[in-house]
Order: sequence, then C-alpha cells, then structure tokens
Amino acid sequence: MKKKYSIASIVKNSFSNNERWEKMWRNPNPKKHYDVIIVGGGGHGLGTAYYLAKEHGVKNIAVIEKGWLGSGNTGRNTTIIRSNYLWDESAYLYDHAVKLWENLSEDLNYNMMFSQRGVLNLAHNEHDIKEIKRRVSANRLNGLDTMWLDKNEVKDLVPIMNTDNLRYPVLGAAYQPRGGVARHDAVAWGYAMRADELGVDIIQNCEVKGIKTDNYKVEGVETTKGFIKSKKIGVVASGHTSVLAATAGIRLPLQSRPLQALVSEPIKPVINTVVMSNAVHAYVSQSDKGELVIGAGTDGYNSFTQRGGYDVIEETVRAIVELYPIFGKMKMLRQWGGIVDICPDASPIISKCDVEGLYFNCGWGTGGFKATPGSANVFAHTIAKDEPHKINAPFALSRFSDGRLIDEHGAAAVAH
Amino acid sequence: MIIIKCPYCGERDQSEFSNGGEAHVVRPNNPESLSDKDWGEYVFFRNNPKGIFYERWVHSHGCKKWFNAVRNTSTDEILKIYKLKEKRPEITEFKNCLKSPSGEPKVGSGNFTVKK
Amino acid sequence: MTALRNHNCNYISNVKINFKFDGKSYFAYEGDTIASALLRNNIRLVGRSFKYHRPRGIYTCGIEEPNALVQIISEHNEPNTRATIKRVYDGMVITSQNRWPSLSYDFGAINNILSPIFSAGFYYKTFMGPKGFWKNIYEPLIRRSAGLGKPPKNFRSKSIHQNHNTDILIIGAGLSGLIAARKFVNTKYKVLMIEQDSFLGGILKNSNKVDTINGLNSSEWLEETEKLLSKAQNIKILRNTLVTTYNFTNHFVALEDKFAGKKIDLNKSELTLHKIRTSNTILCNGHIERFISFRNNDLPGVMLASSFEKYIHRYGVVPEERPVIFTNNSSSMSLLNSMLSLGCKPEAYVDSRKNEEIETDIKKILKENNIPSYFEAEIEGCDGNKKIEKITIRKGKIFIKIKSSMLCVSGGYNPDIHLFTQSKGLLKWDKNIASFKPDTPFQKTLTLGSVSGNYNFNKLCDEINEKLSFLNTAKLDFEIKLNVSNKYSIKELWETKSKINSNWSKSFIDLHNDVTIKDLKQAISEGFDRIEHLKRYTTNSMGTDQGKISSINSLAVVSKLLKKEISEVGTTTYRPPYAPLSFAAIAGRSTYEFYDPQRKTSIHSWHLKNNAVFEDVGQWKRPWYFKTHDKETMHQAVQRESKMLRENSGILDGSTLGKIEIKGRDALEFMNLMYTNAFTKMKPMTSRYAMMLGEDGMIKDDGIICKLSDQHFIATTTSSGAPKVLAHMEEYLQTEWPHLQVYLNSITEQFSTFNISGPKTREIMRKVFPNIDFSNEAFPFMSFKNFDYKDTKIRIMRASFTGELGYEIYISPKYGLELWEEMFSCGREFNLIPYGTETMHLLRAEKGYIVIGQETDGTVTPIDLNYNWMIGKNKKDFIGKRSLSRPDTSREDRKQLVGLSPINKTDTIEEGQHIVELNELPKKIKNPIKYLGHVSSGYYSPNLNHSIGLAMIRGGKNLLGKKFFVTVSGKTKNIPVEVVNPVFVDPENKRLIS
Repeated sequence: MKKKYSIASIVKNSFSNNERWEKMWRNPNPKKHYDVIIVGGGGHGLGTAYYLAKEHGVKNIAVIEKGWLGSGNTGRNTTIIRSNYLWDESAYLYDHAVKLWENLSEDLNYNMMFSQRGVLNLAHNEHDIKEIKRRVSANRLNGLDTMWLDKNEVKDLVPIMNTDNLRYPVLGAAYQPRGGVARHDAVAWGYAMRADELGVDIIQNCEVKGIKTDNYKVEGVETTKGFIKSKKIGVVASGHTSVLAATAGIRLPLQSRPLQALVSEPIKPVINTVVMSNAVHAYVSQSDKGELVIGAGTDGYNSFTQRGGYDVIEETVRAIVELYPIFGKMKMLRQWGGIVDICPDASPIISKCDVEGLYFNCGWGTGGFKATPGSANVFAHTIAKDEPHKINAPFALSRFSDGRLIDEHGAAAVAH
Repeated sequence: MIIIKCPYCGERDQSEFSNGGEAHVVRPNNPESLSDKDWGEYVFFRNNPKGIFYERWVHSHGCKKWFNAVRNTSTDEILKIYKLKEKRPEITEFKNCLKSPSGEPKVGSGNFTVKK
Repeated sequence: MTALRNHNCNYISNVKINFKFDGKSYFAYEGDTIASALLRNNIRLVGRSFKYHRPRGIYTCGIEEPNALVQIISEHNEPNTRATIKRVYDGMVITSQNRWPSLSYDFGAINNILSPIFSAGFYYKTFMGPKGFWKNIYEPLIRRSAGLGKPPKNFRSKSIHQNHNTDILIIGAGLSGLIAARKFVNTKYKVLMIEQDSFLGGILKNSNKVDTINGLNSSEWLEETEKLLSKAQNIKILRNTLVTTYNFTNHFVALEDKFAGKKIDLNKSELTLHKIRTSNTILCNGHIERFISFRNNDLPGVMLASSFEKYIHRYGVVPEERPVIFTNNSSSMSLLNSMLSLGCKPEAYVDSRKNEEIETDIKKILKENNIPSYFEAEIEGCDGNKKIEKITIRKGKIFIKIKSSMLCVSGGYNPDIHLFTQSKGLLKWDKNIASFKPDTPFQKTLTLGSVSGNYNFNKLCDEINEKLSFLNTAKLDFEIKLNVSNKYSIKELWETKSKINSNWSKSFIDLHNDVTIKDLKQAISEGFDRIEHLKRYTTNSMGTDQGKISSINSLAVVSKLLKKEISEVGTTTYRPPYAPLSFAAIAGRSTYEFYDPQRKTSIHSWHLKNNAVFEDVGQWKRPWYFKTHDKETMHQAVQRESKMLRENSGILDGSTLGKIEIKGRDALEFMNLMYTNAFTKMKPMTSRYAMMLGEDGMIKDDGIICKLSDQHFIATTTSSGAPKVLAHMEEYLQTEWPHLQVYLNSITEQFSTFNISGPKTREIMRKVFPNIDFSNEAFPFMSFKNFDYKDTKIRIMRASFTGELGYEIYISPKYGLELWEEMFSCGREFNLIPYGTETMHLLRAEKGYIVIGQETDGTVTPIDLNYNWMIGKNKKDFIGKRSLSRPDTSREDRKQLVGLSPINKTDTIEEGQHIVELNELPKKIKNPIKYLGHVSSGYYSPNLNHSIGLAMIRGGKNLLGKKFFVTVSGKTKNIPVEVVNPVFVDPENKRLIS
C-alpha cells in the first residue's frame, strides 16, 4: 500500500497545514479497451474491482460510474451489518461478508468504523417468536452468534425502549452481537483508493448507455464518453441493473422501488444497539455523530425518482415513537430515498447469464450494504473464473426456472 | 405521494391504492404446455423500465376495482389511466415524455438541481 | 457591551417574565424568543460547537441559526432547540449544550487545541487498531464528545394532524405574499396562507425598509391588509406554522406551534401537523442572508446584519450600541437607518465594494454621521476570549484594529430555494444577485418576490400581476415607497484572506459542523472534487441548519478552488424537511392505544370476565388460554384445557376466521381455479378442507370450503390471511378471468363462529338445539345445514380442528354472546370448557394437522405435507399447478412433514430446533453442521404424556422409523428422537367421524 494512514501521518500533515495530502484516486480518461469493466461505482462495484486486481491478478480493469463514487445506495442506506439469515445459502453469503468486515479497516488501511455493537430483531407476537427461535437455532448450527433474548434482556440492552405499554408489546428478540453498523461512504472510498492503487481506472461522471453484444457474447459498453471494449462486463448498478440488462437483451426478475431513510438531529449517546422490528415497522441505530439513523419501508410501486411517499415516513416515525416514546421530543433532520432492486425471493442474484462475459450482481433489495465485501469478493471470483464461487452458486439466475428459490422474506427486516 | 385518479371514484391519494406491477401480462392459457423457463418467466419476470411503464393499480381502500395506468417511472408522472376493458394505448402516444437513453428526465428526477 | 431597548417596537409587550438559563434567572418580555431575551440580558455566549467545542453565540434571528441551540429542561429536556425561534414563557428552564463541566469552562475545548490533527477525514485515517480498540475505546470516546443536546426524558407524544385541500397555497405572508393574497380576496379560489411567524408582514416588521404603500405607512397598510384578509371567507391563514416539506403532486407538510409564546400545557398537544394538497403553489418565502468567511468568523458577537436589524424592529432589542458593519452589498443602508434613528452609531462601516460601486445614499449617511468608513476593504478577522474584543480591518495592505464586541455581517441575500428544489424544480445561477434562483418548476409552483430572485420593490406588483394573470385575478397596483435605495447591488465576496497562516487559525464555512475553508481545500486535494463528496467527507452543510447561511458560500469557494463555474459545480440535493421536524408531530395521534385498531369478537366481554389471556393475531385479540385461578401458568392451563377437551368437550371462539362468500353463475369454475381441490363432484351442503397456492406452487392459505350449490360457496380462511385471500381472489377475477360471472363478499364480521369439539359434544348440542338431529347419519362429518334459531338463522357445520367430534356454529354476532352463554349453561353438566388458541394448536398438532405460517413458510407445497389427495390432478389448471412440476418442487428430497417422538419420553422437543445426525454439538461451532430440517411444532401432549413434534425434514417421507437427534437451545447435548407418522392421536379418524 502506497498511502499509509496512521496517527503519525495525520500529525505529519498537520505540520504542513494539511495541504500536502495525496489524492485518494486518479481521475483517468477511459481507455479504449479493458479486460474487465465493472458498471457501477458503489461499494459492491469498487470492491469487485479491488478483489479482481488483488486476488485474481486481473490487470486492466475499469469501474464506470454514472455519478460520483458511492452516489447510489452505498451512500443512502442505514449501514446495518448482520448475517442472521434463515437459510444456509444466505447465512454463508452474509457471514462471508461479516468476516471480511471484521478486518476490512486494517486490510484497506482506511477506517470503516465497523462498530460491532450488536443487532436486535424484535418479536411482537407469537408468530414472531416462533420465527425468531427457528432462525436462532439454524444460525447456531451455521456457526453464527445469534441468540434469543427475553424481554428483560432486551430492556437491559436498550433501557429507553417501551416494551410493555404499546399496541404490540415487545416479547423478546434475536440478538447478534457481531452485527453492527459501519460508515457507509468510507466503504466506497476505501475500496476506490486501494483499487486505484492496484491500477484500476475509476471513471466517474460517465454513464453507460448500453451493453453491446454479438451472438451472445459481450463486446463492450456504449458510454457518454464513447464506446469501450471489453470481453467481460460485470453489472452492479442496483436499481438500474435491469435497465442496463435490457440493453443486452437480458431480462432480470427485478423491480426497482424507492426505499427511504431518515436521520434525527444529533444527541449524546442514547441507544447503543441496532434495533430492528418487523411488526412495529422501523429500524434504528445511533451514528457516531449522534444522529438516530432510521430506516423506513419500500414503496409499493416501481420508481426511479429516489423519492418515496411521505406516508411511508409517517408510518416509520409512528413506529419509532411507539417503541421509544422519548424520541417524540426529537426532530427529523433529513429524509432521503434510494432505488432498490427487489427479487421475488428477497435474495440477490450473483450470476452469469445467457450472454457470454456478462455477469450480474443485483437484487439486493433492502439489504445490500451489509453484504458489500462478501458480495464483491464472490462476484470477483465469478468474473475471473467464469464460474461462481461455491458461496454464490445458489444465487444463480436459473433458480427462477428450476424453482430453487431462497425465500428470505422473513429475514429481510423491511416489509415488501 | 402521488395522486391517482381512480376511473370509478376520482382523484385519491396513492396510499388508498395498491400497485399490481406490470400490466398486460396475460396468464398462459395452458400452463402445462410451457417449458420450466417460460413458466418461470411468467411467474417471476416483469418489465422494470425507467420511463414509460404500463402498470396495474387497485383501489384497495376504496372500490376495490383494478385498472391500468401508464406512468413515467423516472418522474412518477401518471400519463394515462384506463379501465381494464380499454385498449392498451400505443407507446407512441407518450413519445414526448421519453427522455435520455437511460430515462433520466431533464427536470423532476432529483438527480440534478441546476439547469444545465 | 450593552443592549438597548427599542421602545418603538410594538410586537413585544411590556409584561416582564422570568426564565432560567444555565441555572441563572433572567428577565424577558412576553413575545421574546430565547435569543432576543438572552441578548436583552447581554448574554452572548450560548453554546459550544459540535466538533471543536468552540464558544458560540447568536448568529441570526430565525430558522437559519447554526449556533444558538439550547436544551429546554422544562419541556422534557427537549434538545437542540433553536433559541432564535423558540419563545420564552414565564418559568422556562433552559441550559446550554455540548459542554462539560460548564459553558465557560468546557473540557471538550481541548479539541480546539488539537484541531490541526482533526482535519477532514481524520476518523477514516486512524483508530484502526489494535483489534477491539475501535469498539471498546475509540468509538465510545468519540460518541461521547459528539452529539449536541442530551436525550429527552419522560415524554409521550400527543400531537395531532389536520388535512387541507385548497386551490391556492401561499407560503410566506411577507410583502409579496400579502399582495398575492389580496388578489384572491373574495374570489372563487380557496386560499390557504401560511406564515412561520406569529405576525404577518415579514420585511414590514423586520426592518424599516418600506416607508409607505399607497400613501399608508407600512403598519397602517398591514392593518388594512390583515382586516381585508380576515374578512374574506375564502382565505384561511395559519400563523406560527412552518412549511417543512414539499412533496410530489403539490402535497405539503407544515408544522404549527400551538403554544408559541405561551406557557406550554404539558397535557395538551403542543403541535399540529398540517397536511396540505393544493392545485397551485405560490412560494413567497423570501430570502436568507448569507455570511462571509473570515478568521474567527464564529466568535460570539458575529451576527448577520439583517438579523441585527430584525432584533431591533421585531423584538425591540438593539443587541449592541456600537457594532462594526461589514458588507458586500447595498442592504446595509437599511441597518444604518435603523440604528441611527435610535441614536446608535456604528463603530465602523466596512464595505468590500469600490467607492464608485457604493450607493451615494449610503455614502451620504456615513458622512453626515461621521461614521468611520472603509471602502474596498474587508474584515481580516476578529479576536477575543469567548467574545469579540477586537476586529481587524484590511484595506489594501493596511490593517486597522478596532475595539468592538459585535460585528454585523452581510454577504448578500440568497433566495430561499429549499422548498422549490424539494419540489424538484431546477435552479439557475443569477450573476446580478450572485446566487441561485428558481428556474424551471417541476410542479405547479410559482415564486414571487425575493425567493424568485427579484429584490426590486418597485417591480414587485408587476411581477405578481404578471405571474398570477393566468388565474384571472384583478390587477393590483401598490405604490411602494422605500427608505432605502430600490436597487440591490452586490459584489461577490465569499471569504477574506487571513494574515495569520497558523495551523490553528480558522475561517469557518459551516458553523454548525465546524467545517473550515481549509477542510474544503484539503478534501479537494485528496480527490473529493464533487460537491456531494465534499459534503460527505467534510460534513459541510449536514448540520441541523443544513447550511442555510453558508451552503451557497461553500459552492462558490469550491468552484473557485476547482476553477469551475458555480453552475457547473451545482448544489447538493436539498432534502426535506426545510427545518428539523418533530417526530411527535409526524407520528400524530396514531400511537399507543391508537397505533393499530384492536379487533374484538362479539364474545370478548365474556372472555374478559373469564380470565382469558389474549394473543395478538393480526389485529385480532384472541383468547390464548383461560386461567382458572391467578397462579395457573400457561403450561398448566393449556395442559388442563387439552385434557379436558379430549375427555369431555371444549369450545373455541373462532369468529376471527376469515369468511368469504363466492356467488355467481361461474362460482364452481372459479373455485376450481383458485384452490388445489376439485369441487365439481362435491355434493351441495358438504364442505371440504382446501389449499390455496400462489403461482409459485407454494401454500398461501388454507380453509374449509362449504358448497351450497355450484353457484354458491363459502370459503373460510386463516384469521390473519382473510384480507390477502380476498384481494388475491378479486385480482384474478377482475384481471385474468373477467368473463367469469362471480361476486365476492367478505362476511367475516357477519358471523360469530364457535368451534365446539370433544366426545361429549353431541350431547351438549342436542341440549342446546333440541330440534336438530345430530346423529352421524343425519349429520355426517363435513356436512352442514341451516336452521332457524330463535328469531335468527344459524348454520352448523360438522368439522373439527382438534380431531374430536366437532361442530362449527355460525350465528349473527348480534346473538353470538347469547348463544355462547346458552351453550355454557347447557354444557356445564358435561364439563364444557372454553379453550384458547394455544390449546387449539396443541390438539391439532396431536392430530397432525398443519398451521399456515408454522408448518408452512412460503416454501412448502401440498406435496411436501403429504396432501397429494387435495390436489385435483384431473383439473386442467389451478393457480400454482404448473409450478408443482418444476425440477425443484418435484425433488424427492424436499423437506417433508413428519412427526417426531422422543426416545426418552421425558425429553422435550423444542419448537424451532433442528434435526441433526449428531448426539452432541461442539461447544463452539466453527464449521456449519449439516441438518435435516426443523421442528415446526413442538408441544407436550397431555394425552400421550410425552413431548411430540411436527417437523419438516429433508426426504422425510422415506425416513419413518429412523432415529435422529434434535438440538436443544442453550445445550450441546441433543435429544434422540424417532421419525413417526405425524398423526399422534386417532390415526383412524374414529373419534372424528363417530
């Protein structure tokens, strides 16, 4: 690693008035040809480029981003990380990610602020309890640290929670101590910096208008900066993936929906765990700056406007005030939306397709951030070897014809 | 929150309606004759365009009637609403609403704030 | 440093009240904001900054305030309240924020000393090791020093919502808003006008810029206008209301403070959230003054010039007798006028414009009053300990030091474009005002007055007449005479150069988040050359003020650093809300008891009297079990109920079951398509257990279908599934098979439903309904009949979910309770008991019956449950049929339903646990352990005297008799079990059909 960050580098730079910091990445013009092109400069895309260069020795890579790095869902999510999914396939995939998260700051020498403060998934009725206990047991056999907490244990972790005096009382929760939150932008920036160091061309402000194919083989991408040739193209464009796939004649089982989130004004530490609830629908954590970071639900219709309905915000805040009455005295500072691509079984697609050299990493729905390093890692493998890693093999596109779905509707904390 | 004009009840807030996804997807007449792939396409695959989208809505907290709409998904503007029995409007009817190749509109998407 | 009172101000009363700030008592006048009251008491230091804990004062006089945020102790500790907006009342208790141990001596100020290393991106570059340090050491430290106010205390929200539908919405009742409103007086339009202040008038109240309108002085004109508007039937005005959110299709959210300036009644709703739909929107929300960056531009004592003026006119307090004025534009004239009219003389006047660019009127006043003036000069910086003590002016190469404790700064006016951009309109850079202004609207939005970039008063009426002409309102012409020059002129100035190039010297570009110009420079040099990147990397304009007085400045500074046009740099996205919006207000009344409706059956009162413990099933309250005495545990109650039922009889309130009536010519064909079962050969007046699938072949719901005739069916559904099933049926009926003549009707609430079962049931039924023949021959299993009962009708169906002889009774809810009680009075001698859902689940598990959502989870087909008999194989089609023959759904080794019986009869099979081949698990599981499936239901059977389980296990159909192990929560030792037939009780159905 060329750029080495530490307290020493910070002190050194402070003597020169912080005027001599190096650029984190170049701003190159696109070359005519690359060995691999990644479409989408979010965490997943930049991570894929990084692992392709680092672990698979691919030399000539470009990441093409329509806006700026991390301008999509990487910079719009509620930063929750956990792996307590029901099915084995998902548990392996998401825990692969958590394991990478645990060393990512050191690996990239860039602080992702991964804070393993634990994640609670609340149970509000008998059905929730049954579902959660089953999940806890399955997680245990898969080597995950999920456990069942009763109401009092939940209350100990989150003293401000209203567990009894509400329409759907809190009856207990699943708790994964290794879960937590991270600084979302840092993921994009950290991967970008190290990918750039390994020679990856990161091309921002360049929109891919179409994928060119010939006889079921990819030839390159048509962009606002001209045509760029490549025999391998990985598309990681979240909400826009199906739009791009359509230009190559590929149909994906995705629907793009607005997903909203909001933050409060900053206050001193008040909640030290990530709390998610399905029945009283809201999830909340407190950022290091002190803001409450609150996730809302998806809207029920397709949209690319990055803006959802106000009723969804109201519904979410209602749940927040129900569970944490004192938050009623706080204020919403900002609300925003992203476009998530939702799969029929609420699991992602990390897969080859009928066109040779064309790969997709999409369908993450509401839960993509937590998977970033894992997803990038196995996607890089899939592109480099032209066959899936054993972890992402079950997440193939073919599952929608043979019926081998990975139905995670119960585990995605967001109501679809 | 968009407003939807139910063809039976009139203009109502979107929260009174539920979306039924892509319109004009006809259930195969003889599913048994379809290949696994084709059946999978019918069950799981729907168009997801950025721009002109033919979709279904139901006035679920009202008259419970289904109807079709044409909406620009890049701005959420509803361009036409028609009953199920009515003919599907030609896409050329909305050609003025079509924007750049990726469907990004000049105004209304929120991705730009300043006039270029 | 003394504040004066402006006795000419009429908006503040003479009634003195008292409040406490940081433990000390101060006075205020009714109508004061916290800020005006503090200024009145010569308090300048009110808080500490976010990152460096630098001393901060009051910077503005409104919603744009970046510094003066306080905590209201007397209102449940409300944090981060804008002192410049919040009104003082008698007895109010306030503290400053983000300081320890006190505001004057804040330990956190050490951050300021260490500030050179707290450069942009500081956190990303350090704190990375050793392992565990981030979580345990660094992060807790960082979190404690971050944040602003302390958390609120003991609060329960009580806010309410109000809806409005209107033709015209006018936002802002300043001069342009009032003129616009006057055009609508007594027209056909329904008008709603919203003003954030408690008074109308805007600039007419906040300054003395306007002399006369049509010959009336500004307060007379205002009075006349208010009278006119309040008389007009078609105009409604909301005061103390701030529009925060501009959504699609002209939908707005606005927040009204019901107690502005009054003592809050903590038992009442203090906030009303207005939700507004309008056909046309007229934005008259004015402009916001921006600051200029210079060294120490954050010291208490620096204030925006128009805010200083607003304190004089609106609140009757002159914060300081002899401040220094620093400007780059023509608006200073009005401030000079205001001060001089009260006998106050600025210590100095500094204008960055050249002599010839400055209005002659201004120069004349300066000269006449002997005010030391510096043209083509700027403020280099200011110095002082927790307040301004000395101000340094740079004129060319000369530096002049002046003693003063206050500095009024004006960097120019920005149209307040926040709402316009929220609406997705596009902006354009206007060189004449050196700011962004609205250009292309996306919705039906008009902008009038200064928000549209028109700072020219004598063109205001023309602008309004022209823009509103499409609404055919009468033309209005007011002659507006000003005390100041009519033309606004400005020369761009965003930052001044510091003469000190120290690591510690700071020119702030964002006061709230402590972002300096140096931070922007550093971020750009590191490659963050996009405005959104800069914002995220430096946190510029991400504070609670969202950079209202500074964001345009940062765009300008960045565009210079990047050597780009400002319009190329663009703005960051303006996100709702306009100002922080109370969560309590957003939530409204639909919390706690109103969070979700509670649905209760007609028997609910009886359940209450008989010590039922309830369970939430969807919105329904269902008896979970009945307690016979206080100390009875759930386990004891359920065991008792289950045993009693199999010995005698029990009755369950099943009214919550969904019921759908299907009627019409093609009802039979429709039902054959909707359900897996074949209904064609089914006899009228019989019923059948049926399954509904999704197109993916997975079980969606189940229920009993009653066939009255080929044209008439009644389907029951699960309690929580009823709405979904009806919607699913409607969808197919309307969209796929509109040729079918079928009508659907939800009749769930039309009936009270009782499920009575147990060996003594027939005797009880005979006693309750003596005229009905309940013999097996007359009333066989899965048949139903209609009867007259008293003056109503009932339907009785022979069916059972417990495996015992049972009947389901349907009666109008009006008679439900009466019949229920009648059944108990007849059933007493047969030991009839009420039972709840838990006993129902236990008994059905003994019988091997499945429950949707327990044995099924969206991945289970009827074949997986061995329910092949339910699939109408000869039917050409039904929903989901094709999916059952896909490669994965027809696999032999799918998870299939089996029963589990413990080998050691004292072992407990726990629900949710998994079936494995190991008798013991390692203490720490490193590599995933293969499992066959999970326990979908687990109960202790009082009738078998051991634990039983239903399980979904891989290839289960072929594993009968095999031995496996079931995991135990919290233990490594597993329990051995045998795979058995899932029907534990009465596999021959003798009891059922007896």
